[in-house]
Amino acid sequence: MSLEAPEPSTHTDVGVTETGLDYDVLESLLGELVIDRETHHNAEAFVVRPDRVADALSVLREEAGFDHCSCVTAQQYEDRYESIYHLKKYDDPTQEVGVVVPTSIHEPKSQSGSGVYRTADWHEREAYDLVGIEYDDHPDLRRILLPETWQGHPLSQNYDQERQQVVPLTEHANPLEEDHRGGTDTMFINIGPHHPATHGVLHLKTTLNGEQVADVESDIGYLHRCEEQICQQGTYRHQIMPYPDRWDYISAGLLNEWAYARAAEDLADIDVPEYAQIIRTMSAELCRIASHLLALGTFAIDVYGDFSAIFMYAFRDREVVQNILEDLTGQRMMFNYFRLGGVAWDLPEPREKFFEKTRDFLDELPTRLEEYHNLVSGNEVLQLRCVDTGILEPEVAKQYGCTGPVARGSGVDYDLRRDDPYGYYDRLDWDVVTEDGCDNYSRVLVRLREVEESAKIIDQCVNLLEEWPEDDRTIQSNVPRTLKPDPDTEIYRAVEGAKGELGIYIRSDGTDTPARFKIRSPCFSNLQALPEMAEGEYVPDLVAALGSLDIVLGEVDR
Amino acid sequence: MSIADTLGSALGLGSLGPLEDFLLSLVGAAFVGTFVLLNTAVAGPWAKRKITAAFTDRVAVNRVGPFGLLIIIADAVRMLSKELIIPDGADRPAFDLAPLVLVASALLGFAVVPMGNGIQLADPEVGLAFLFAVASIASIALVMAGYASNNKYSMLGGLRAVAQNVAYEIPLVVTAMSVVLFTGTLQTSQIVGAQAETLITIAGVSIPSWYAFVNPFAFVLFIVANMAEVGRNPFDVPEAPTEIVAGYQTEYSSVYFVLMYLGEFIHIFLGGAILATVFLGGPAGPVLPGFVWFTIKIWAFFLFTQWARSALPRVRIDQLIEIGWKGLLELSFVNLLLTAIIVGVIV
Repeated sequence: MSLEAPEPSTHTDVGVTETGLDYDVLESLLGELVIDRETHHNAEAFVVRPDRVADALSVLREEAGFDHCSCVTAQQYEDRYESIYHLKKYDDPTQEVGVVVPTSIHEPKSQSGSGVYRTADWHEREAYDLVGIEYDDHPDLRRILLPETWQGHPLSQNYDQERQQVVPLTEHANPLEEDHRGGTDTMFINIGPHHPATHGVLHLKTTLNGEQVADVESDIGYLHRCEEQICQQGTYRHQIMPYPDRWDYISAGLLNEWAYARAAEDLADIDVPEYAQIIRTMSAELCRIASHLLALGTFAIDVYGDFSAIFMYAFRDREVVQNILEDLTGQRMMFNYFRLGGVAWDLPEPREKFFEKTRDFLDELPTRLEEYHNLVSGNEVLQLRCVDTGILEPEVAKQYGCTGPVARGSGVDYDLRRDDPYGYYDRLDWDVVTEDGCDNYSRVLVRLREVEESAKIIDQCVNLLEEWPEDDRTIQSNVPRTLKPDPDTEIYRAVEGAKGELGIYIRSDGTDTPARFKIRSPCFSNLQALPEMAEGEYVPDLVAALGSLDIVLGEVDR
Repeated sequence: MSIADTLGSALGLGSLGPLEDFLLSLVGAAFVGTFVLLNTAVAGPWAKRKITAAFTDRVAVNRVGPFGLLIIIADAVRMLSKELIIPDGADRPAFDLAPLVLVASALLGFAVVPMGNGIQLADPEVGLAFLFAVASIASIALVMAGYASNNKYSMLGGLRAVAQNVAYEIPLVVTAMSVVLFTGTLQTSQIVGAQAETLITIAGVSIPSWYAFVNPFAFVLFIVANMAEVGRNPFDVPEAPTEIVAGYQTEYSSVYFVLMYLGEFIHIFLGGAILATVFLGGPAGPVLPGFVWFTIKIWAFFLFTQWARSALPRVRIDQLIEIGWKGLLELSFVNLLLTAIIVGVIV
């Protein structure tokens, strides 16, 4: 599995004009590869033949500078299958383009894009697994979320839900047997799905050479809960919003809700009152702090051992955030607080008390952070362990579609809050944190420093909310009771979740439920880069690298 | 003076015959064993919970009995009533023997430790050598456990344990030898006796010539090597739960697990006992009886290991070996050489 040599692209501004992208220029760049054009809500999309996918993607990547394959969506229509590659630029994610690949309903075969974007590997496996499109030239086209023995493709239209998933004994032959009998120089070992360090049900098929990792392969899907399908059955207005809380269930709920809210609001053209945007911004950043603190605590367990004081300290501080969020939303983890067009209710009364509690937390935070810096980033033993281990080069990170603190720890300056502004972020004063170390240490440091930035944002939001005129506190705009976006509209929108770019693709068919609901999970893409970071390292550094990725299996498996 | 003599004089017996000596020694051994087990098996786990909780901002056990003390009984019942699961393909005699060897090796060490007030089971001339010799039998137990479990994590843990013990045993012994240069004897009672002299008197407070004060450099080296020897953070790689599950003890359950766990606890306390004997004047101390001081000192070392566990990251196995062979070993020999020169010139 060799990477394409990353060529410095000199044409990143092809078709870039002052008002945005000129898609005609891009179309002429692609030339005869384009057979049609579609207009999605977020960007134009070019339709290409299923046997020319790699060519089209490669032109867009090498010559037009689309270096970020954000997501691959697959779906089935009455008459065809379709894969959509959502491409962006790391420098400016508002420059987007889609590549739509229709394939025959009878023989859904399409060329793989994994040779151009490594991240397409897992995305295409998922498309194969759930929808049933086969990708030619794919290096490893196996099921990824469902068991190897699964019959049928659950998100395809002719899937028979009544069919019993009975598999003969021969199919249950130990899939690891060959590894046991394999070479004598290496040792095969299963790390997980039950292991103190895997942060959930992740299974790492690891080959060890002595104590060093020769090969590691992630086996995911143990926590697959059909989230996409559940959302496809729910109505836009009310029934979908509770579910995002359950993707990244570790205190990042509001950030996930915002991903859905943003996509659906843009799709159905719903305005959000400014007051509600501020509340959203504040509460989302509280969630980010809670999530980053937890990431720090669990990373400490991985490196320090399970009696580490840092874990409990992180929980102590996270508890305060949870209490504030509980006051605001009535819930501690499964918030269900955002609504399309705003939030569920206003700040709790008495408002002064809420502000005071939040301010107390913010005042206390610098002392706490100093303590963490003393214990973690200033600790020489930790530096010995984490500096220069688990290296993820920036070009490799981009190839794998890494985002969030993982990308920023590799010096990739990419943060959707700033680069693709939403909410109230563009009117507040804060900075995007990056570190150039590319190692485990940098990724942890980025999170610690991001907590400070989030605190800055919350502080400004609290000030704004406090001074907000009492007669202008609109928390929701007018949204029709039954929301039916125009038929055949498509949108891909992303927000900066705690772990990175959390994107939602929605296709509407004119009913009150989405025809296709696809979740682009940051953890899914970040986890795919684990072998790049871990191979050649010692087992403890594999564990530390996994901890520094900060994955949540609920979001990886969905 | 051995414990048999102490008991004999307490009972008003004159000189002891061989039979009396033997019987009284048995009584003494029972006493020493009970004392060690009281500390390690009864008080240890409860105290560990409380100490760790205090370090990590928690409360720990407080529901069962005052200060949660009755949790000791509840734990004992729970641990002993669990099902003993022995994996298929385990190498039976070795798998069964490993926990016993681990516990026995640590308990044996206490036989030559002077605990004050005449409590010392035996006082051979090679006491210190005996102490290190039996303590290092533990590594054999760990290899047995790791190899016999037929589990890859256990195997890795066992290999790590032996690599670590080999790397740190040498600096440990060499550093202790620098103390022997001062005392000129391996007999533990005489090592303790040599530390009773006054080193210096400051403002009326006389500071005893404990070797921790005489040679603080050796003291620090010894603590580091001792931490590695008992396998505590930052040197707890042989069991490193987040890496190799539980290392050599992954497959042990029920009573066997209790024994493994107990063995580790006794080893920590034995580490403290060696430290107290060689560097902290053994049972010496003002006001309180020697025996109490001895207990305080071994608990202080236990507390120290728990503190390190809460606050320090563990090093990687290759770094651990590197620190051992490239750092501690050299330093311990330098220390030995310098001490030899100083002792040769001054004394």
